[in-house]
Amino acid sequence: MEAQTLATNLEQREITVRVKRFNEDKGEFWSEYKLSVDRFTQITEVLRRIKTEQDPTLAYRASCHMAVCGSCSMKINGEPRLACKTLALDVVKKFNTDVITLEPMDYFKPLKDLIVDMGDFYTRMFKVKPRLYPAEEVVKGVAEQRLKPEDQRELWKFAQCIWCGLCVSACPAVKEDERFLGPAAHAKGYRFLADPRDTLYEERLKILLDSSWRCTYCYQCFHVCPRDVEPVTTIKKTRAHTKFSKEKTDVMSTGERHVKAIYESIKETGILQEAKVYISTYGLATAITDMLHTMRNGKMKYALIREKKVNEIEQIRKLLGD
Amino acid sequence: MDKLHYDAVVLGGGLAGLMAAHEIATAGFKVAVVSKVFPTRSHSSSAEGGIAAYVPGNSDPNDDPDYMTYDTVKGGDYLVDQDAAELLSVKSGEIVDLMERWGTLFNRQPDGRVALRYFGGQTYPRTRFVGDKTGMALLHTLFERVSGLDVDFYNEWFAVDLVTDERRVTGVLALDMKNMDPAFFKARAVVAATGGMGMLYAHTTNAYINTGDGYGMALRAGAAIKDPEFVQFHPTALYPSDILISEAARGEGGILRNNKGERFMAKYAPKKLDLAPRDIASRSIMIEIREGRGFPGGYVGLDLTHLGESYIKERLALAYEAAMNFAGVDATKEPIPVRPAQHYYMGGIDVDTNGINTDLQGLFAAGEAACVSVHGANRLGSNSLLETLVFGRETGKTVVEYLRKHEEVSSPSLDKEAERLLSEAYSFVKSESGVHFGEVLNKLRGVMWDKVGIFRDEDMLKSALTEIEKLRGQVREMYVTDKGKTYNTEFYNALELRNMLDLAVVIAKSALMRTESRGAHFRTDFPERDDKNWLKHTLAYLKGNQVEIGFKPVRMTKWKPEARVY
Repeated sequence: MEAQTLATNLEQREITVRVKRFNEDKGEFWSEYKLSVDRFTQITEVLRRIKTEQDPTLAYRASCHMAVCGSCSMKINGEPRLACKTLALDVVKKFNTDVITLEPMDYFKPLKDLIVDMGDFYTRMFKVKPRLYPAEEVVKGVAEQRLKPEDQRELWKFAQCIWCGLCVSACPAVKEDERFLGPAAHAKGYRFLADPRDTLYEERLKILLDSSWRCTYCYQCFHVCPRDVEPVTTIKKTRAHTKFSKEKTDVMSTGERHVKAIYESIKETGILQEAKVYISTYGLATAITDMLHTMRNGKMKYALIREKKVNEIEQIRKLLGD
Repeated sequence: MDKLHYDAVVLGGGLAGLMAAHEIATAGFKVAVVSKVFPTRSHSSSAEGGIAAYVPGNSDPNDDPDYMTYDTVKGGDYLVDQDAAELLSVKSGEIVDLMERWGTLFNRQPDGRVALRYFGGQTYPRTRFVGDKTGMALLHTLFERVSGLDVDFYNEWFAVDLVTDERRVTGVLALDMKNMDPAFFKARAVVAATGGMGMLYAHTTNAYINTGDGYGMALRAGAAIKDPEFVQFHPTALYPSDILISEAARGEGGILRNNKGERFMAKYAPKKLDLAPRDIASRSIMIEIREGRGFPGGYVGLDLTHLGESYIKERLALAYEAAMNFAGVDATKEPIPVRPAQHYYMGGIDVDTNGINTDLQGLFAAGEAACVSVHGANRLGSNSLLETLVFGRETGKTVVEYLRKHEEVSSPSLDKEAERLLSEAYSFVKSESGVHFGEVLNKLRGVMWDKVGIFRDEDMLKSALTEIEKLRGQVREMYVTDKGKTYNTEFYNALELRNMLDLAVVIAKSALMRTESRGAHFRTDFPERDDKNWLKHTLAYLKGNQVEIGFKPVRMTKWKPEARVY
């Protein structure tokens, strides 16, 4: 019975692929291709067939076709994805259209069609010293490193970054704040910061901590990562090391005040009193300036919403560990 | 043309190339790694199951390097150079230790030591692994390590040809893919670590980038390819993406079924059934498809449904995920669509255990690009990752010794030679009419799959040779429609195709010559192994359009050939 399903349900159909292209001579332009796909056809295969059968000039990157090399990052119907990890008909069904749109990733500069300049991404990765610095005795081979199975599992989750760049392309903080290292570099940095075999703890704190407070927790990286690395989780975990840092930059101190204010607000009232948290975090002077700005934009009403009181405050305090 | 001076140039940024570069750089020599992709995109990243190693103090108490060597020799159907296999076994523990020290997150035993598991063809369990992404984990560790050394990376540079002067390699001609700027990398030593050639076949588990560039370059420069006829086909690649579904799926009880729902392996291997060796299983699947019992598109089903959902998800996680992500098939509910696909190339640039090629002074090779020969006629699982690192390192050390002894030779004719090679390559872009690479490429992949594939016989191979020669003729008329300079991937695809065709003719000719069946080379007209006439390596050269074939004895130490029964 199962075998019959495979035989009859190829779901062959014609699709239209629109590709946003770019080259120095023509600038930006669109090309359209029609081809027949079935339920098994990956977007990398769509591209390979277009290139070998219809238009040899189409340029894109692709290598492993199994989501481990991170070459084929692009936007597919607006979503940042790996082309190999995307089936053509899944896109057709999800968007209820026979038209698939392929565009280069956001943020990075397009160089030719779907190929973008990844230089900025690599620079970010190398900034975090992405390699283990083991103890001298280990390097000489006179001591053996051991690692608890649970540590291995935790670190391996974050070490699976394939340098595809999708998270950086989707990150709003990277665009606004040049001192933010970006999600992938943080995942990489934390993977070594938390590795008990590494000896560079102090230096890694200096590289990572300030930047970690520049993330907005929007969770775009969490959603787009094709390997479920959860860069934002590594940023949270990195922030937890702030207390071990001797020097604190402005964003780090602000961040710590913010965390403390939230904690106190919840402990006291059971709810997040945004206005109060704001004042505690940024101080009265900044809060007033920002309030004027808020009023000018007609958003003051949101600051004045009265929150309902929480009844079982003791339960919440218990959860907070008091 | 720009001239860049290095002591050594490594072609390829996968495991073998990076390990060689590491050795050369740490000895204080100036080394460049030239790779057509950013190193972590190399095909080493696709290796799944693990790396075999005998680690003293952390292995099965009954195991020893001799068992490991024996497994490799028998697995390779006795075409293995036994001294090479011994070296591979002896160095295996060191290599795993080294990679651990550099940070590879190997799975652990409860006491914190590196864990191990069984793999096909092993007398005792000795495979070390990082989940099911061992290659990716090792490649990232090594790249991260080497990126911290004084090594110049030329990423997304396309190596066109070796520059030679009277049987001596003097450097490499390469193009920056970003702007098509050529450069002559002058160097005393060149290490080819360019990986495999799966794209020669219509169906392959290999990355799109595996186009056999190193083989083509070596052949054109006058070096031999050893054992070119030995191409490994894996029976269960996912349809149609050809992603590998590990042998573990059948090990755990998976059943191959045709379009009638029949367990067809009962016909071909009544005792071993679905656990028959790779070559037999591949051949059986192909017969079913050819005789009309496959599914439209050409595949059979790998049925796991009877194993139950929890068992599948626990024991066969990767098979389950791959089927789900890449074929949209829920393996707990319906059979996984599979077909055999090219998987590995046992043949390669002829080198000894030091990575030295004797045809061209200054040429070295390592990894899948090389034939040491450690895999013989058929490679064992978990031996490829091991080979890249062990022989990548041995080769790097050899290069260091070589550099200490050999001065640079300079002659004005070198530049001219580089210019000549460049204008040869440019001719494709300069042409205004002819054929597109895609047309020829798709034909070649079909011919190789149909006629130089899992089953071979004299008629098929002769017809393949005729067709390949015709395609080689067409390629001289190839033209590139894209005239742009920035990432003109059409141009590089055309150059890749030239490499592929130079290798294809060599494979077909060698397969035609070898009138026996051994390991992955199966001749329906000569179905038996013939040790009397064929226990020897093939050495193939390309002289213009002619393939010249020679032979070389297999190096034996302790193990006499016996019947290969499992």
